[in-house]
Amino acid sequence: MNFGQVRLPAHFALRNFDKKQGAPMKNYLLILLLFAAAPTLAQTKISGIVTDQKGGVLPGANITLKGTYDGTSSDTQGNFAFETDETGSQVISIQALGFKTQEINIICSGNPVTLKVTLPESINLLTAVTITAGAMEASDEKKSVVLKPLDIVTTSGAMGDITAALLTLPGTSTVGNDGRLFVRGGDASETSIFIDGLQVGNAFGSTASNVPTRTRFSPNLFKGSFFSTGGYSAEYGQALSSALALNTLDLPLRNQGDISIMSLGGGYTQTLVGKNNALTASGNYYNLAPYQSLVKQNFDWEKSPSSWDSEISLRQKWGNAAKGKSGFIKAYFHTEGNGMAIWQKSPGNDLPGNDGRGDRIELHNRYSYGNVSFRHSANKGWFFYGGAAFSHNRDKYNINREPIRQINQIAHSKIAAVKDFTPQFSLKNGLEWYIKSYSEALISQNLKRKYTDHQLNHFVEATYYFSNRLIMVGGLRTGYSSLSKQMWVTPRFSVAYKLENQGQFSFAAGKFKQLPEEKLRVLQTNLKNGEATHYILNYFIVNNNRTFRAESFYKTYDNLVTYQGLPTAPANITQNGAGYARGFDFFYRDKTTIKGTDFWITYSFVDSKRRFANYETKVQPSFAPRHNGSVVIKHFIGKLKSQLGSSWSWNSGYTYNNPNLQGEMQSKTKMYSDLSISWSYLPRPNIIIHAACSNVLGRSNVFGYRYATQPDETGFYASLPTGQQAKRFAFIGLFITLSKNKDANQLNNL
Amino acid sequence: MKKLQIILTFMLLTTFTAIAQDTPYQKAMKKEIAKLIETDSLPQLQQSANAFARITELNPTEWQPLYYQSLAYTFQGLNKTLTIDKKDEALARAEELAKKADAISPNNVEIVTLQGFVTMAKLSADPAGRGQSLSGLAMQTFGRALGIDNKNPRALVMMAQMEYGMAKFFGSGTEKACGFAQQSATIFAGQDEAALKAAILPTWGKKLADGMVKNCK
Repeated sequence: MNFGQVRLPAHFALRNFDKKQGAPMKNYLLILLLFAAAPTLAQTKISGIVTDQKGGVLPGANITLKGTYDGTSSDTQGNFAFETDETGSQVISIQALGFKTQEINIICSGNPVTLKVTLPESINLLTAVTITAGAMEASDEKKSVVLKPLDIVTTSGAMGDITAALLTLPGTSTVGNDGRLFVRGGDASETSIFIDGLQVGNAFGSTASNVPTRTRFSPNLFKGSFFSTGGYSAEYGQALSSALALNTLDLPLRNQGDISIMSLGGGYTQTLVGKNNALTASGNYYNLAPYQSLVKQNFDWEKSPSSWDSEISLRQKWGNAAKGKSGFIKAYFHTEGNGMAIWQKSPGNDLPGNDGRGDRIELHNRYSYGNVSFRHSANKGWFFYGGAAFSHNRDKYNINREPIRQINQIAHSKIAAVKDFTPQFSLKNGLEWYIKSYSEALISQNLKRKYTDHQLNHFVEATYYFSNRLIMVGGLRTGYSSLSKQMWVTPRFSVAYKLENQGQFSFAAGKFKQLPEEKLRVLQTNLKNGEATHYILNYFIVNNNRTFRAESFYKTYDNLVTYQGLPTAPANITQNGAGYARGFDFFYRDKTTIKGTDFWITYSFVDSKRRFANYETKVQPSFAPRHNGSVVIKHFIGKLKSQLGSSWSWNSGYTYNNPNLQGEMQSKTKMYSDLSISWSYLPRPNIIIHAACSNVLGRSNVFGYRYATQPDETGFYASLPTGQQAKRFAFIGLFITLSKNKDANQLNNL
Repeated sequence: MKKLQIILTFMLLTTFTAIAQDTPYQKAMKKEIAKLIETDSLPQLQQSANAFARITELNPTEWQPLYYQSLAYTFQGLNKTLTIDKKDEALARAEELAKKADAISPNNVEIVTLQGFVTMAKLSADPAGRGQSLSGLAMQTFGRALGIDNKNPRALVMMAQMEYGMAKFFGSGTEKACGFAQQSATIFAGQDEAALKAAILPTWGKKLADGMVKNCK
């Protein structure tokens, strides 16, 4: 067998040789003459020096006499020299990593040839500058990342929630009674979430007001994420503040089964992997009742939250990347159901209640999300991607036994083509079509209202590398809404420059539009876009496992919705609101200074005021605390086979409106602080025991106060604090992985 | 004239036979492989990579030149004097070349092992940051290589290295790792190196296996 392999190449080499000489086989004499003549001809010496465009010498360049084995490499001074037996007109090729290949025609006649070669730089995407303004990436593959995908799940205090982990990053505010993403003075609805480029409707679980929610999707689905706190690409729209793009895993490594047994429930996931395809299916059930019966709760639960979910994902790849054409198609389907019933006291007890327990809120939620996405790289620098997604969310609320039903549906389809015209210049073009429909019904009174909106979008984005140090991206997003009968054009622009020391500056600016929330649009369907303009300046440096990032931003808001009356019954809806948010933030991460320890520290300052909702003046919103900070520490102790983690998150307090005082939003809560700890223990490589506790210090955080709508006899508005569900939240779980490879575990799933 | 042609044909045939035993391709490969296996110096490794690139140009249907070119970049990526950026640059090149070799010769135990080796080199560039995400991939790739040929000494010694690292990390016994290393060393000792070299097939890794066996004792 080996023998055969030796002969084969020899045979090919001979055939090639014949072809090159162009000799007809019958003309033996000529061949023999050539054979005989070659050694007698004088050798030609080829020498020279290779430099870059700035005159610096280039060692290790590959110098080849094309079509022959003759050639050499440049030495540490950039010099090279070699001899060849070839004669006549020849081509010399000079190649070096990170530079464009040069070809030079020479004549080999026995006379020495001396060359002075200057190689122009080529764009190396691996080390070239990237735009980091407003962007924070979690990836295993790219350089300018702030987090690894694994960090999202091993951050203590996050309890496996993607959003909670992102809240340890700069530019975000923790709003403990909400749980969603609040970015730079924007409210939670101003962030759009995408899976594999396709929008997810109702990405957060449905809940009662002041009961915090979580992301519906498990972090172990994703290989990376791109979180933008502003100034993002023209590819994304209908989000005034922020875009979060989550990318699912390609092919899992192996067949395996994952069992999880937790204090809150359990689940099973089975993964089957073929050569070019994979199937993952999982089912989970959670119920907080046993835990809440053991640990004292501040909330008055009639029925503790419980949920089930199941999901299935299919992946198929095709083609061969090394041969130019290849692609991937993914299908993902997720469905779940949740339920809860809670009593919430009313301040002043002036509303009709039951046994003084206040309002009874019962919720049944059904949610489904499915998407099919593809990407395909073709020849000649073409790349295509796109897909279609559908989300369906149904909330059945019973508020004091009064049934209300809300259905929200989003269909999104998208197709984009990217063409690399040169290594410097690429152009992306895409089309998107959204169908958004929302309905709400008051069942007992047989009242129903709804709307359907078609939105058509086009985006175009050009990327140009001036060099490996300077990049510029310009984009334009155009949209049209059938319901608001409005067309809009939003420009986006960003530029980044890399310094000598690996640090880089980026600047991004853009206009962003978003239609008001469903609950308002259904009342007044002709509402137009709200508007925001972002300016962001960023400095970013990664060096030897240390990352530092500083960013300042200025954002203005216009055409925000304003109304009179309570948020539950808005009247006189207009779009006269406006405001601003400005500030700066810092992020420092260090994996090397302390052995075995990885930590990051963030600080964000936000100064925001806006007139919106039912405020008559510009006020600081409750969800935009001025000072925000967090510290996350992870430490591995080999002897204990354990990873210990701790995170601390802090802010300077939430504003609230006290009707007993003059003005609006004039009051502020005491500061918020939460210290969480976690412990992951691996007794065997495929078994993990994970324990975590939030707010270990037992601090009573208050997120605001609710006031009675009417004053009492003395003219005083009574109030109740909006606080935490419980002093602490503790979690323990056992995770077992079953596979042929006994070392596989779920550490990346926790 | 006829006689002359017969004589010439005979001469030509003998020339052909001589070439068949060592074509310029084989000669060039053998010379460069010997150089590559000997060296630890970065400039020399780059020269090797360049030389194999030149051979690849002329022999685009052979997997070996791509394999050795990739190996030369992998060795660069393991060089301790380089910054992580430089290591990644070399390893990205190594990965790309191994992929091309794999496209020419799919399910080749040597190429799959090399792909695992590149992953292992990436991992060792930043063990703290990449350990969790890449160790599984590296083990899986070596597992795939052993699935193709469970007697390949390079796949065995690479697997031994990964198992050793895992055992140290979890504080468990190194028996499994040492078993793989011993198996690898035994196969290395029993192989006909000259024949493999003549066939320009990979022979490297013996020192690594012997070193590990020594460590295990």
